[in-house]
Amino acid sequence: MIRLAIQGVGVLGGFGCGLGDLEKRLMEGVPAFGSLIVPVEGQELNMAAYTADSAPLERFVNKRATRRIDHFSRMALLGACLALEDAGELESSMERVGVVIASGYGPTRTTFSFLDSVFDGGDACASPTNFSNSVHNAAAAHVAIQLKAGGPSLTVSQFEMSVCSALMTTQLWLAEGRVDKVLFGAVDELCSVLGYCWGRFFPGGESMIDPFSLDRQTAIPGEGAAFFLLTRDEQARYGHVSQIRQESIQAPLSSGETYLLNLDGHAGCSTGYRQVLPGSASVAVYTPYYGSLPVGQAFDLAVAAMALRDGRLPGANGFAGPADPGWQLAQGALDRNRLICLKCDGRGRVGHIRVEKS
Amino acid sequence: MKRRQPVAITGAGCLCAAGPDLAACMEALFRGQRKPAPPELFSAGHAVKYPVFEVPESFFPASMPADPDMLRTARLARAASAEALADAGWEAADLERLKVGVIVGTTVGSAMNNEAFYREYRDGGSPGMEPIGRFLAANPAAAVADYFGFRGPVQTIVNACSSGTDAVGIAAQWIRAGLCDLVLAGGADELCRTTYNGFISLMITDSEPVRPFDLKRKGLNLGEGAGMLVLESDALIQRRPDRVRAWLAGYGGACDAYHLTAPHPEGSGLKHALSEALDAAGCQPEDIAFINAHGTGTPDNDRVESRTLADVFPGIPFLSTKGFTGHTLGAAGGVEAALTLVCLEQERIPANIGFSEPDPDLPACPVAVETIVAGRFALSQSLAFGGNNAVIVMAKGERR
Repeated sequence: MIRLAIQGVGVLGGFGCGLGDLEKRLMEGVPAFGSLIVPVEGQELNMAAYTADSAPLERFVNKRATRRIDHFSRMALLGACLALEDAGELESSMERVGVVIASGYGPTRTTFSFLDSVFDGGDACASPTNFSNSVHNAAAAHVAIQLKAGGPSLTVSQFEMSVCSALMTTQLWLAEGRVDKVLFGAVDELCSVLGYCWGRFFPGGESMIDPFSLDRQTAIPGEGAAFFLLTRDEQARYGHVSQIRQESIQAPLSSGETYLLNLDGHAGCSTGYRQVLPGSASVAVYTPYYGSLPVGQAFDLAVAAMALRDGRLPGANGFAGPADPGWQLAQGALDRNRLICLKCDGRGRVGHIRVEKS
Repeated sequence: MKRRQPVAITGAGCLCAAGPDLAACMEALFRGQRKPAPPELFSAGHAVKYPVFEVPESFFPASMPADPDMLRTARLARAASAEALADAGWEAADLERLKVGVIVGTTVGSAMNNEAFYREYRDGGSPGMEPIGRFLAANPAAAVADYFGFRGPVQTIVNACSSGTDAVGIAAQWIRAGLCDLVLAGGADELCRTTYNGFISLMITDSEPVRPFDLKRKGLNLGEGAGMLVLESDALIQRRPDRVRAWLAGYGGACDAYHLTAPHPEGSGLKHALSEALDAAGCQPEDIAFINAHGTGTPDNDRVESRTLADVFPGIPFLSTKGFTGHTLGAAGGVEAALTLVCLEQERIPANIGFSEPDPDLPACPVAVETIVAGRFALSQSLAFGGNNAVIVMAKGERR
């Protein structure tokens, strides 16, 4: 199978907008998050959350063109523009560019806004604008329309496996020559209803993700987008995605690799990591910088791309290392030219993305 | 573009308003029978009772009773998958040692839009989490894989109404690349008040039974169902060559990049998708025996499709099967792939029900009567919100 060359990266989330902001946050070593207002039983709860600002989209697309585009699609469009800008391809032809987007839950705010229109005005007053923007592939459509991307388009919603699953198909599109480039991205958004669900499923409320406290629920919800411009070139600005696997957890993985884990504070997922990772594995975690979201693995992939570009894992982790499983915390210079981004979903599935230096 | 290695289709299953299984659906199609009716699964406050194509409870297999912890979409997908696997001659236990993937296209099956839950929350209550738990447990591809104990990759495609066609095309890519030995692929979707209200709000729903390509067409009727196919690797097929019902010969896809809900007026994305699919199959337009068009019955869709078909496939017979099934959204591509497969085998297509009066604005009309079709290839196409266009080309198999 061919390797996917990472030519551009565009990210936004609770850390800010762009790879530079993420890098800066990683260097400063201070996780930052905002808040999500969650009305419950007449009161407004202020829940810790990593929220993203899509306002910088105006730098790429005029305000008028995006006035009917919701937050979910705005985040995706901004991520896509940032990835193209990073690759120096904002002005390039997009005719043979495919768009592939992964999302755990899709455009939740607009989904509920559509229901608001039904509840407020009756069935006959349902909002057509909200309905058409509530389909999961609305973000891919807006990206294709605004950027004139004429290749095939795919949106995948496989909860925590979305990134791996969608990336598998991306690899095949490039391998088969269906497209010359793929704008591959992942996006998920927060809304008050998700906040309510979060509070019900995980009562308590944490102040910081503690990724290696495997048995303790410390997750803090996040939102954002992470996009990549991928080609099949031999030269890559960041490195290559060389292998993608997604399957039920079976045999343990090799101990001779460095794993970038999407341990995001969900105690229910920790069993999977314990099952697949040998005790001596070398691991790194960056979820405290972008929060817990179904497509968090795409942010890990962005960090891995930076690490391969620089030959070292970025920043200094400001949290305690692994205890019980005996994993070794990887920091500083990379001791081999590859990383594996690993995500377990708590339902017995695991997704691997191996990234290596060109 | 280049020719691709065809991938064997060894089984098909379909459950929709036309029938409880694929054979029953085909009988209904060739009898010219359809049963659109106002929805019974939910009520709505519109002055007009727009008809839908609902799956009666009696159509579900007895082995798959309604499960309060599972979405109807997942139940539909599992039922069609069970039929497809049986048709392919597989027991789930036979597949334990194989790498089996599942790809399901859907729309409703991935939407967190439970009205009762949200209404209670919005009204200041604290709704229980059962509907959310059900949503999280019922991701269609994972629900099918879990039911049969498959351990390979899963992918739920949410490309709106082209999802099912994309699922079948991508399944062939997974097989060709060696990612899986066998892939169950297709689409599944349930009827839902949200989509019912949504399509009515867009003013593209017909108050009469749907009339694809007819002069008086006013829009779609929603439907529900699932259509699933079994695709297998060459290595598996070498052991069972007589199981091949058809070959997935070509797949193409392209985005119009034009409008969120309207197709490109010249069908630019559709033409790209058709070109890619024909190239991949290594065939010419005149090699196509018939086309199962998207044919929703909306003025825009049918106009663009008719113009494109007249342009690319002059004289090739085509029909829309949505007059029998309703528009099953994310399931449509899977349902129509299964129906196309049987029509190719039987060398005949049913009349395009609902079509009686040609529209002078449409340069090509569907078949108005049951029609004998000859040729090795058939084509099924889907157009979707977001400007997605997906096309598959099937070739006749060896199973008799």
